[in-house]
Amino acid sequence: MHKNIILQYEIEQWLYKESELLDELNFDGWYELLSEEISYTMPLRINQMEESKPDYSEATLLFDDDSTTLKLRIDRLKTDMAWAELPPSRTRRNVSNVKIKEMSENEVTVHSNLLLYRSRSTDTTADLISGQRKDVLRKENGDWKLVSRWFLADQTSLGTRNLAIFV
Amino acid sequence: MTTTSTKQVPRLDEMTRSELIQYLKDTVKPEEGLIPSYIFSHPKVYELEMEKIFLRDWLFVAHKSEIPNKGDFVTREMGGQSVIVTHGADGEIHVLLNVCTHRGMKLCRMDNGNQKNFTCPYHGFNFKNTGDLIGIPFQKVVYGDTMDKSKMGLKEIRHAVYADLIFATLDADAVSLDEFLGDIKWYLDLAFNRAEMEVVGLPQKWNVDGTWKLGSDNTISDSYHTLVSHGSIAKLGLVPTGDYSKYGYQIYTGNGHGLNLGMPNPDGFAFPESLIDEYKERLSKDQYDILKQMKNMIVCVSPNIMILISSMDLKGQKISQTSLRIWKPTGPDSMEISSWVLVEKNATEEWKRLSEQAFTLTFGASGIFEQDDTENFTDITQNSKSPYHLQENIVFNYTMGMHQDQVEDFVGPGIVYKDKFNEANSRAFFRNWLDQITAE
Ligand code: FES
Ligand SMILES: [Fe+2]
Repeated sequence: MHKNIILQYEIEQWLYKESELLDELNFDGWYELLSEEISYTMPLRINQMEESKPDYSEATLLFDDDSTTLKLRIDRLKTDMAWAELPPSRTRRNVSNVKIKEMSENEVTVHSNLLLYRSRSTDTTADLISGQRKDVLRKENGDWKLVSRWFLADQTSLGTRNLAIFV
Repeated sequence: MTTTSTKQVPRLDEMTRSELIQYLKDTVKPEEGLIPSYIFSHPKVYELEMEKIFLRDWLFVAHKSEIPNKGDFVTREMGGQSVIVTHGADGEIHVLLNVCTHRGMKLCRMDNGNQKNFTCPYHGFNFKNTGDLIGIPFQKVVYGDTMDKSKMGLKEIRHAVYADLIFATLDADAVSLDEFLGDIKWYLDLAFNRAEMEVVGLPQKWNVDGTWKLGSDNTISDSYHTLVSHGSIAKLGLVPTGDYSKYGYQIYTGNGHGLNLGMPNPDGFAFPESLIDEYKERLSKDQYDILKQMKNMIVCVSPNIMILISSMDLKGQKISQTSLRIWKPTGPDSMEISSWVLVEKNATEEWKRLSEQAFTLTFGASGIFEQDDTENFTDITQNSKSPYHLQENIVFNYTMGMHQDQVEDFVGPGIVYKDKFNEANSRAFFRNWLDQITAE
């Protein structure tokens, strides 16, 4: 039990740290948290009858990235021509309901909720991206690294102008 | 002391329909390259667009590969109206008004699926996927002999198919799809008839506080913005720097349809080599010659379809992607973008996977090309809402390329200009738009 509480604490702190780095636009710092083997995907939420669940499609991905393409996105944000985030949106990532689903010696599967607030330009209406994360973290050289992130938004038609931000 | 100014803001909302039409004709001057700002957000203009364009034109609703089997359906929207596109039990495609004929409930609330029947959530009227009404709860008790089910089927919307694209129109008197598309078909062949194509998954959807017209306007003529709007991509070395986006042709084929064809492709053929025989068999020799040299192609089918073929180097491999999107109006100053990705059905799984990935990375909701366009659409639309723009009749400049001569020796149909840095297609698009919304 004791061990599990410590692990829960460690993983929560990792997720908060990650949010902080992204909210502060420290993308290089964020990239450091990722394993080289990262798979970063976001399936499409769809309207389905209860009996036809799951109500998402993995045939359509809104993010379909690995470490190379994530690096590309970060490098792009650093050019002075990435207009979608110039000036940058203000974002607040609220991570909650953190549940460790599986664990082994050096790997955990963790589910959490993400409520991402995005304020862009002079907009007075805020964009909210709400959804579920399923992450796999692995201990690499003593540090937890993100090996896989799967994010499923709650909207079928996103109420934000683009996904120029990370989820 | 009081001062009284003689300045006046034209009150479009107080004009009669014919005064409004006259005002539009007086202020929108496509041939002079003068497009007034107010048209990008004014509610009165939007009302006309809905009525004269979106209730009249042929609109894209689905690709045939989305409903391959009997019973398959997708729900879509056209002209603000939900429709169900089914592969009926009779083997035919049906586009059905998603409105129960009893008392108007939305019959189907799912994005897709496979069903023989649709049961209304309100009182349980039951319809076949062909639209026929087949069941009414307690029919004998509640109607006696007075209800004729055969007259109460779902309203069937007129549809037609070209290159596996299912179009529908809410105007029973509209010209045929064939006539509506005209010469743009030659180019649609390059996108959707070059090989058997299939949609991957379902469309991604996202919402932008910008008018649908800016999407179509950008699609039909704007290769010029690539240098700056998408400058970050060149900085990353993903596309050449400088004027790479200039080379090729700008082509207008009538009825508001046109394209920008980027060629030659300095990087070589970006389609699966294994499908060359299929391409050759399905395309004319001239079309195949164009495909061989194509770097990209951006087609606008009026009013609001964008078709894109684009090629890039991803993970050390040359790869092309094909997509179709609609700029769906959701209000005078807002739209929903839906975007479908298509692949060659007979390509290898590996090639399909990379092509999808290239799409997601560049032109999906998170696409690194895509993102920056939405800034332009949003801010132009929001600017145009100020009454100051009406008061001063602020107009935008669409005169680029007026000094250019058409080329006569291009193999494909249409009015053709060499090089893509030109606003001729936008002038033609807005002429068509103006004629449509001011038609009596
Ligand atoms: S509205 Fe559909 S059954 Fe009554
Ligand atoms: Fe663009």
